[in-house]
Amino acid sequence: MGRAQGAVTLAAEASIDEIQPEECLRAHQYQLLARFLAAPPDAALLRLASGLEGDRTEFGEALGALARVAARLTPEAASREYHALFIGVVRGELLPYGSYYRTGFLYEQPLAELRKDMARLGIARADDVKEPEDHIAALCDMMAGLITGAFGAPVGLAGQRIFFETHLAPWAGRFFADLEGARAATLYTPIGTMGRVFMAIEQTAFGMER
Amino acid sequence: MKQEQVTKRRDFLKLAGLGSLSGAAVVAAGAVPAEAKSEPPQGEGYRETAHVKKVYELARF
Repeated sequence: MGRAQGAVTLAAEASIDEIQPEECLRAHQYQLLARFLAAPPDAALLRLASGLEGDRTEFGEALGALARVAARLTPEAASREYHALFIGVVRGELLPYGSYYRTGFLYEQPLAELRKDMARLGIARADDVKEPEDHIAALCDMMAGLITGAFGAPVGLAGQRIFFETHLAPWAGRFFADLEGARAATLYTPIGTMGRVFMAIEQTAFGMER
Repeated sequence: MKQEQVTKRRDFLKLAGLGSLSGAAVVAAGAVPAEAKSEPPQGEGYRETAHVKKVYELARF
């Protein structure tokens, strides 16, 4: 798909023409985070990440740091790191769920609220899945889908802002900061930085809507 | 949204560093586009992404 953004593929229904380039960049960033957080990185993702080039902003520096680490890490090492951070034997070093960060427990009110909003927006989880939907990767995937229209028509900035402020803003910055400082993190340190800074960018940018 | 407000947000996003992502290679999350497209858009219908499914498979306790 040849566009100004290079070889970009979005798992989306809406044509890129309908979405401003800057908003596409936000969707890309959510998708990048979702890919790293949903599953252990494979060789393709590490290759993609190692090709990123950041500018001199805090966000760009994190991208550059991620690229440097991704270039020297094997998929096996990345997978071990992912398992140590998020899976473990009983649990990983971190529990990347909104309910956990906001209440100290899984399966709490934040998840109930998310499920209501997912139903309203036409987002459903697979029937055979029993895990909570308020996982950071799923929320990033949902944000990307709201921006690009993967779940139907693209949701405008007002709707995106409500979803962001309801389901991400209360905790995602803290999670990414924890990821940045996690004992088991090497590749995921700059991912944590990238996520933390991106959440701050989102918060500020939504504030400019008015 | 006023023109000057749109410009500010657009400029802010680029200046904040997101511009680094333009020209980046494929970023799409693990969702399979074919699967996402196989469900015809319906007013009341649910949408699933393969990615969301994958999150839960891998997050299985």
